[in-house]
Amino acid sequence: MAAGELEGGKPLSGLLNALAQDTFHGYPGITEELLRSQLYPEVAPEEFRPFLAKMRGILKSIASADMDFNQLEAFLTAQTKKQGGITSDQAAVISKFWKSHKTKIRESLMNQSRWNSGLRGLSWRVDGKSQSRHSAQIHTPVAIIELELGKYGQESEFLCLEFDEVKVNQILKTLSEVEESISTLISQPN
Amino acid sequence: MEATSEPPLDAKSDVTNQLVDFQWKLGMAVSSDTCRSLKYPYVAVMLKVADHSGQVKTKCFEMTIPQFQ
Repeated sequence: MAAGELEGGKPLSGLLNALAQDTFHGYPGITEELLRSQLYPEVAPEEFRPFLAKMRGILKSIASADMDFNQLEAFLTAQTKKQGGITSDQAAVISKFWKSHKTKIRESLMNQSRWNSGLRGLSWRVDGKSQSRHSAQIHTPVAIIELELGKYGQESEFLCLEFDEVKVNQILKTLSEVEESISTLISQPN
Repeated sequence: MEATSEPPLDAKSDVTNQLVDFQWKLGMAVSSDTCRSLKYPYVAVMLKVADHSGQVKTKCFEMTIPQFQ
């Protein structure tokens, strides 16, 4: 068994990266054959397939449980002791990978589970309306806000809103109510 | 037709809307089919906006806490 060729090191790092791109970040076109030929060309397809499945499974378990470093070490140690599990070199590579990619993967998982539009961007400016034919409003400031909204995997939609000063203050008041609610939530032990 | 001296908007949407209503809720995503341990709080917003013709539309979206702040 060419176990030596399936050891850790650079190919495994590359493999985990590609698996993350495919499983979490939605990058298209990452096939088993592509991975094998690029990263493990010496390994036969029949041998590569279960290896790939094992690594994907491990990565998914770690991400799904959002493991902290203690949980990660315990989990990987258990995997090294299993029949058909991983080597300690491989465990080290996986551990290093999760530590540096955890945040990004978590963010992708959050995006995937949001089925409403998300706020992708916000721009604003303040205009001074100088005059109009029917009223003598001079230099009435108007805030114009453009929200960029979008669902996961879909193009953005732009929403343009206009506010006068009164409205802006109302919104600010509402936003501070939200802020207060957030502080209460975060300060509660869970 | 009223002429305002607003410069043409450099924006990507053609219409400027007025905000009619703003509702919000603070939620916590606990888990999902793709992730057993999501644990992230989010702010969900529902805006009611009216365009120049008075037509009212509802727009919903979510933000993470860092986005909100």
